[in-house]
Amino acid sequence: MGAGTPPLPGPPKPQAKALNCPKCGAAVVLRSFGQAETVVCASCHCILDAKDPNLAILQQFEAITRDIKPLIPLGTRGRLRGTDYEVIGFQRRSTKVDGITYYWHEYVLFNPYKGIRYLSEYNGHWNDISICKQLPMDQGGAANYLGESYKHFQTCDAGTDFVLGEFPWQVRVGERAAVTDYVHPPRILSSEKLDKEVTWSIGEYMYGREVWECFKLPGSPPEPMGVFANQPSPVTINVSGIWAAFAAFAVFLLVLMAGFDMRAKKEPVLQETYQYNRTDAKSEASFVTDVFELGGGTSTVEVKTSSPVDNHWIYLNYALINQDTGQAWDFGREVSYYHGYDSDGSWSEGKRTDTVVIPSVPQGHYYLRIEPEADPSLPAIPYSVSVTRDVPVFGIYGIAFAALLLPALVISWRAYTFERSRWSESDHPPMELSSISTSSGDDE
Amino acid sequence: MFRKFYMLYGFLVLGTAAFGQYRGWSLDTVNQLKNVPKSVRDNPGSYRSVYSGYHHYTGGK
Repeated sequence: MGAGTPPLPGPPKPQAKALNCPKCGAAVVLRSFGQAETVVCASCHCILDAKDPNLAILQQFEAITRDIKPLIPLGTRGRLRGTDYEVIGFQRRSTKVDGITYYWHEYVLFNPYKGIRYLSEYNGHWNDISICKQLPMDQGGAANYLGESYKHFQTCDAGTDFVLGEFPWQVRVGERAAVTDYVHPPRILSSEKLDKEVTWSIGEYMYGREVWECFKLPGSPPEPMGVFANQPSPVTINVSGIWAAFAAFAVFLLVLMAGFDMRAKKEPVLQETYQYNRTDAKSEASFVTDVFELGGGTSTVEVKTSSPVDNHWIYLNYALINQDTGQAWDFGREVSYYHGYDSDGSWSEGKRTDTVVIPSVPQGHYYLRIEPEADPSLPAIPYSVSVTRDVPVFGIYGIAFAALLLPALVISWRAYTFERSRWSESDHPPMELSSISTSSGDDE
Repeated sequence: MFRKFYMLYGFLVLGTAAFGQYRGWSLDTVNQLKNVPKSVRDNPGSYRSVYSGYHHYTGGK
């Protein structure tokens, strides 16, 4: 385009049309360029025919609550999904379930080129709503729209309590419509039946802060209360995917366990049997074993103690001492076994063997210092000590398994409780649901 | 996002388990000491175990 070329004529700049209410004379602003069917006088609450040049009065209603004020004032402009919109209408709607009245608000947004769309707000939860481009398929308890399946959430009777601004339909206060909602978070599919006319709309969940950013509203949005029908789960993951990953890790863990078990030498380096005599214990009870060699690098060392105790105990103070370096591992082990019979039947506790695994013992020449103690009523008791190097520690796998399981459980629990809260507000209480907890949150 | 984190975490857990097994880690508690005199071998009574004097359970229901 040359510098001297006159600019092409663009679309007309949007301008509001000002009229006066035929009832009270207050100014009535029309912002939707003839797209509105009705306009409401904010002063006297007359619903006027926007198509009539004289603004014929269609209905006058008494505002039950004069404090009802839209969170987004009429005339506010904002950029929603890349398109500029102006708020031209506002209505409060309600439904009564089990004697409790629930209120929500709907905002009519207008763009001269894109037309009308809506925002709804309930307890701080927002939805960006537009009229469906295709007719959804009702599948009995579910609906399908553009290839996506929506679960039935609730059916209720919704009434219009309060209106303000312009509406692209013949709005009336007191009008009641049968509303059915289907959800597939973060979307909600709604059918609204008024007389014989059914209107389908599709909504997508929005956070209050997103709405506030779109319309550059001052302050902060109201905090959302509870969980809304199509609110996306904060556990934005596929729970079954996590369990699949957990199963894969558990298999890896089994392979690891089998591999290390096969690799472990389990080499016996000492096997001795001793006798504890109480009379000898009056002198020095401690003694040392022969020196044995731990080869093959740093590894675990298992010390196993066995004694045929019977309603008695024997306790051994052990020290595994490296003859060359003076490094020692000091530990005490008890072998005790008790049993009997009482009013509850027979009982037993303890074991006649005890096993301890000493961690990360370097190779070298070692001996055991053993200092036995025993039940004073025992005159003498034999016990055997065996030392084995390089044994697998299965407890490590147990901890690893628990460490893998815990996040999966936490995520599943969070997803379950979130879905439970969601569906507790529906026509399908949580007890009837089994599959829903795993199906939501799949939208990553 | 969380799935990636969980995958990373899972490999970390498996890696730690494998490393622990390789290095000979154990779940049992033992007291490690250094510079135990060589004389203990000839005179075991000169060594004092930190566990001596442990109050023993006398058992029974």
